[in-house]
Amino acid sequence: MSEIKVNFILNGRATTYVGEPRTTLLRAFRAHGVTSVKRGCEEGECGTCTVLVDGVPMKSCMMLLPEVEGKSVITSEGLVGPNGELHPIQKAFIEEGAIQCGFCTPGMIMSVYALLNENPDPSDEDIKEALSGNLCRCTGYVSIIRAVKKAAAMMRE
Amino acid sequence: MLLQFDYVRPKSIAETIGLLVQHGSSSAIKAGGTDLIVWMKKHLIKPEIVIDITGIAELSGVFFYPHKGLRIGANATINQVLANREVKRSFPAIYDACLSHSDRLIRNKATFVGNVTGGVPSADLVPSLCCYDAVVHIAGPDGERDVPILEFITGPRRTVLSKEELVTHIYVPYIEAQAAGCYVKLARRNALDLAQASVACVVVDKQNGKDFRISCGAVAPKPVRALEAEKYLKGTKTLDETAIRNAADKVAESVNPITDVRATREYRLDMIRELTIKALTTCIEGLRGGRMS
Repeated sequence: MSEIKVNFILNGRATTYVGEPRTTLLRAFRAHGVTSVKRGCEEGECGTCTVLVDGVPMKSCMMLLPEVEGKSVITSEGLVGPNGELHPIQKAFIEEGAIQCGFCTPGMIMSVYALLNENPDPSDEDIKEALSGNLCRCTGYVSIIRAVKKAAAMMRE
Repeated sequence: MLLQFDYVRPKSIAETIGLLVQHGSSSAIKAGGTDLIVWMKKHLIKPEIVIDITGIAELSGVFFYPHKGLRIGANATINQVLANREVKRSFPAIYDACLSHSDRLIRNKATFVGNVTGGVPSADLVPSLCCYDAVVHIAGPDGERDVPILEFITGPRRTVLSKEELVTHIYVPYIEAQAAGCYVKLARRNALDLAQASVACVVVDKQNGKDFRISCGAVAPKPVRALEAEKYLKGTKTLDETAIRNAADKVAESVNPITDVRATREYRLDMIRELTIKALTTCIEGLRGGRMS
């Protein structure tokens, strides 16, 4: 039950975390200051801890730290440009007011990022399906869908 | 917080079985982990050693073999099953069931086989597997064995698996005829909800008539096929509204639901009738020119 070393790529940088195997990826991120990854339900329901693992969106509370050994992980921090410029998805969320309390936002953004990588012009139904694992308890879904469409248009240009 | 445990990542089935023999009931197998981690967090399962099988190449993949069937490895995620084009074409009831499971994010991690080995009565993937006569392949210290899906789950969260055994894959035989299938699920919301009741239905159009296969979820302690209803439908000449209604009554007679937080027994029985009507109608329309394999 000793601590283990886990090597992975976090937002493009080689990273090593040391922790117990029982540490979830979510808890490891929060302990290391990667605080865009939010702790919500911690049961795989709410999606506010969503990150991309080798390009695939997953809930980091359902992942043990050793599972990311050798993998590439992207969080919402990783979408920000070198001079602090926001990603079109992040901009669109702000411009469309798709943020109320903001707690679900980083997870939403990662799911949207995965969706737009796959489908640059999603319909309302595509968006709802892609975000079915991300809950917004402010229930601001209409503005979120608007923001996704705006981000998609910005990214297609 | 999870309790402490040792974590191992075996590289082969043989190595995994060696670990299972050595550690027995103090170990737990982890594939996707979306069920196990939740239970471990609640301290309802307290393994001293977690055996992570995701690094074992021979357990991965979703493969379709023409005229034979579909092989779903223990590590295949539900989204990997959905991504195999042959699943939608030849096993539409499995396709529907996969889509009804949890949400897109969890399906990227949760494995198809894990939904079956969990053995919960509301498991979305089980009724469809019952309709396709799927077979569960098991490896253990005494070799391999195959168990039909209907015999694999023996009660709520109980299966025939011993503590020294591992499910390597599930095999779904191909239907060498025109067939339609669907899975209809009743839940309080579309995503991330357990079934209150569900019905899987497969209708095979053979030269000597149609074959009906119906199985229900969340309404019995272990998987069942509605054999009386199947027999009745096979012997019915005209599949009109009355015949479908009669069949739905027989399906409801073949199940034994409980009242729990999600629904009452009475409501489940009523809904099983409605879901059966919907499923049968969908399949019959499918055979007339809609979805089929």
